[in-house]
Amino acid sequence: MDALDWAGSAMLAARTRLDIATCNLANVSSDGFRKLTARGVLTSNGARVHAEGSSQRGGIRRTGRDYDLAIVGPGHFSVRDAAGRVVETRSGSFERTLRGTLVDARGRTLLSDAEPLIVPQGATIDERGRVLAGDIDTHRALALPHDSTLRAGFLEESPVDPIAEMVGIVDASRSFESAQKVVGAIDSLRQKNASDVARVR
Amino acid sequence: MDRALSAAATGMAAQQQNLDTITDNLANSDVAGFKGQVQRFAELTAPGEDGSGTIALGPQVVLSQGKLDKSNGPFDVAIDGPGFFTVADDRGKRWYTRDGQFARASDGTLRNALDMRLDGVRVPAGALSMSVAGNGRVTATMDHGTQDIGRIRVAEFAAPERLRGAGGSLFAATPESGAARVVELGTENGPKVRFATLERSNVSIVEAMMQILSAQRAYEANAKGVQAADEMLRIANNLQRG
Repeated sequence: MDALDWAGSAMLAARTRLDIATCNLANVSSDGFRKLTARGVLTSNGARVHAEGSSQRGGIRRTGRDYDLAIVGPGHFSVRDAAGRVVETRSGSFERTLRGTLVDARGRTLLSDAEPLIVPQGATIDERGRVLAGDIDTHRALALPHDSTLRAGFLEESPVDPIAEMVGIVDASRSFESAQKVVGAIDSLRQKNASDVARVR
Repeated sequence: MDRALSAAATGMAAQQQNLDTITDNLANSDVAGFKGQVQRFAELTAPGEDGSGTIALGPQVVLSQGKLDKSNGPFDVAIDGPGFFTVADDRGKRWYTRDGQFARASDGTLRNALDMRLDGVRVPAGALSMSVAGNGRVTATMDHGTQDIGRIRVAEFAAPERLRGAGGSLFAATPESGAARVVELGTENGPKVRFATLERSNVSIVEAMMQILSAQRAYEANAKGVQAADEMLRIANNLQRG
C-alpha cells in the first residue's frame, strides 16, 4: 500500500457511499423498505465502505384498505414467490385473490406457518393477526412476535429521509473530490521525480 | 451500467410513474363514482447485491367509499356500501361502475354519459317521476298512481381489486376478479341503493396535490443523484492528465 493506493481506496469508498445514498433515495416511496447504511472500516487494503441493512423503521401511514397491513414492533411477513422461495418482508400491501389468499404487488403469497393464509370474503384481520369473519374467529392467524401488533388499513412507510440522503450525496461527492486532489498531488510529485530529479545537466 | 447512476435513474422513472397515477386521479376527481389509484414501489435487488434502485409495481385501485351527496338529477342513484352498477353497451358487453348518474333515453332505458344502459329498469312513457328504494326496487309515479318498473341490481366480485379499470369510473370483469354476483340489497349491514344521491370520487384533491409535490421533489432528488454520479465519473476520467 503506497500513498496512491490509499487515496484510490478513499475514492472507491466515496463511490460506494454514493451508491448507497442513491439507492436509499430511489426507495423514498417504497413501503416497508429496509434502509441501507454506509459502514466504513479501515483495512490493510485501505479505506473500505460496505452497506448494512438498518433496523430503522418508517412511520405508519393510513390507507384505508383492509388488506394493507403494518407490523408495529419487530417481526415480518413471510411471502412465497412463484418459484417457491420464501422471503421475509415488512412491506404489507396485499390483495385478496379469488381463492382467498392474500398476494402482494409482486404476486407473492402471504404465508402463515408455511401455508398460505386463507381469508374469507369480507373478513378482517385484527391487531393480534387473527382473521375475523364478522365477529367470528376463523382460527386462522398470522404469526406475530409477542410484543408486536398488526394494524390493518395502514402501511409502513419508507424510513428514508430525503434530506439526509441528499446530504450523504453531497458528502460523498466532496470526499471523492478531495481524494482525487490527493491522487493528483501524488501524481504531480511523481512526475517531478521522474522528469526533474533524474535530469542530467 | 454504473450502480449509483442506474439506481438514481430507476428512482426518477418510478416517480415519473407515480406522477402519472396522481395526475390521473386529480383529473378524474370530479367524476362521479371514480375510484383513485395508488402506485406501489418495491426495492430492486439483483441476487447477491445490496440493492440497485426501485421499481414501480403498477397502480392499485382504492375501492373505498366516496362521499354521498344529494343531487338534483331525477334519475341519480348511488351505492352505499360495496358493489357496482351493471351497465351494458350497444354490443351487449357488460361493464361495472359506481357512477350512478343516469338519464332517460327515448326508449325508456336509463343510460349513463357513455350511452350505456342500466340493467333491469325501463321507465315507461308518461311517467312523471321515478324513485328507488334502498333494496333497489324502482317505482314510477304515473297519472293514475305508482307503478313498479324494475329493479336495480348491484354486482359484487370475489376479488374486486382485480377488476380491469377501463377509464373513468368503468371497470370490466377479468378471470382474476371472478364473475359478477348479485348482492342482496337493503339488509341491515349490507349495501343499499340511495336515490337522488351521487357518489363523489374518493380522491381528495388536497391529498393529491400533496402527493404531487412530494413526488416532484423525490424526482428532483433522484436527478441530483444522477448528476452526482455523473460528476464522479467525469472526475475519474480526468485523473489521467495529458
